[in-house]
Amino acid sequence: MRRLFTFLSLLALTGCAQVAPWERDVLARREMQLDGAPLDAAFDDHIYFSKEASSGGRGFGGGGCGCN
Amino acid sequence: MANNDKRLGVALAAATCALLGGARSAPAAAADDEDRWEIESALLYYGESDDRVQDASLSVFAKRDFDDGKLLDFSITADTLTGASPSGATALDTPQTFTSPSGDDTYRTAAGEIPLDDTFLDTRYAVSANWTQPFAGLYTVSAGGSFSDEYDYTHAGANVRLTRDFNQRNTTLSAALAYSWDESDPVGGVPVGLSQMLDEDDLSNRGDAQTKDIVDVVIGIAQVVNRTTVVRVNYSYSDSSGYLNDPYKILSVVDPVTGDTIARTPPPGEDGPSGIYRFDNRPDSRTKHGLYAEARTWLGGKVLSLSYRFMTDDWEIDSHTLEAHLRWPIGATSYVEPHLRYYTQTAAEFYRVSLVDGEPLPQYASADYRLAEFDGVTAGLKFGHETSGGNEWSVRVEYYKQKGKVSDSLLIGNQLDRETIADLNAIIAQFSYRFRF
Repeated sequence: MRRLFTFLSLLALTGCAQVAPWERDVLARREMQLDGAPLDAAFDDHIYFSKEASSGGRGFGGGGCGCN
Repeated sequence: MANNDKRLGVALAAATCALLGGARSAPAAAADDEDRWEIESALLYYGESDDRVQDASLSVFAKRDFDDGKLLDFSITADTLTGASPSGATALDTPQTFTSPSGDDTYRTAAGEIPLDDTFLDTRYAVSANWTQPFAGLYTVSAGGSFSDEYDYTHAGANVRLTRDFNQRNTTLSAALAYSWDESDPVGGVPVGLSQMLDEDDLSNRGDAQTKDIVDVVIGIAQVVNRTTVVRVNYSYSDSSGYLNDPYKILSVVDPVTGDTIARTPPPGEDGPSGIYRFDNRPDSRTKHGLYAEARTWLGGKVLSLSYRFMTDDWEIDSHTLEAHLRWPIGATSYVEPHLRYYTQTAAEFYRVSLVDGEPLPQYASADYRLAEFDGVTAGLKFGHETSGGNEWSVRVEYYKQKGKVSDSLLIGNQLDRETIADLNAIIAQFSYRFRF
């Protein structure tokens, strides 16, 4: 766990160039949003939750169906 | 002064986003005050080959913008599911008869075929809602709930998420917590783990509905790398406790030499199983850890998204998932998006193909193919088009294939010559429409 947090902290601090708010023309586009397709993601999560032993990661991996 | 700078940054970010949103769809921007709702609806078909599971699903996701970044979203889904699923029993050179999961009927599997339980028919309704709002400048909090109900299963859940922006909103840290309560209530009752499949109408090994609790924690960081790239990394923890068996999965009890199921004849005048089968039994707790990393980058109009997920749990299942999407514009208003996904997992420590007659029963055992070692590959293509009114429709078609791997050490006698896990081949087709009003 400690290693993971160190990794995350380093990632946050490693020379990522600061992008000013007025430079976010590309990043503000819908297709650049990390959660820009919630319905596709929900369907995929549901299908793979039903067919594979691992779930979640991007978001919660909990239950919600007795899928067979 | 620093505080003022931050506020200026926030105001500029908001203004920039608003301007950019407007530039992309002018008609929507002109009526910005009224266009507070965004609705995305989708129809999904999921179909497995060989008359296995077929699912049709209708889903509506709605989002309403309020002032000051406050957001309400909710979703409603209806699913209808039919078809057959591997029961866990092994194939034999002779036909097999099983008592159905409800206990009031029997079904047969032909010689040489992997037994599929074809008695599934279910309808599922699911709803969820979330409220999100910023506070104290750089924080956002969201809270929500979910509920779903199907014939034999009920779920209720609640979640809360807190995020904080740093570095002129180039870095976002988030922490989220979810709690789920799920109840399994199969028709005929919950079979006692490892108990033997009984004759039709004999429910003496069945008990009351069983529940499980699931706690999920996700801690994440999202980082703007430069003007065209954003990455995120999540650590996830999930703890399930309670009834984790699958009440419909069984194992064949086999001869230690031939590997064939021990035959059994139901009493005269009664219908029942033609062999000895026992119900699946899993530990009553499971702890999972996951690491998920995703990068999204703009390549002169195209958008490439790559992700990797590693998961490990105390059932000794490790999995790796690699996924790639490439959104490729066609003209100003359309795009195609190829998608590839690769998944691989190791088997649960208690996964086995069958139980051996004469040996003491193990504490836990399951022949559920989803707990076996396997690889899965998905390949798909999505096409999307933005209408002149700023709405979007899209179609996607995907093909999913699973190939199981069973080590020879788990097989006995004739099992070595027979197919143990049926490959899974499925088509996923989805039509979506998104609009604002």
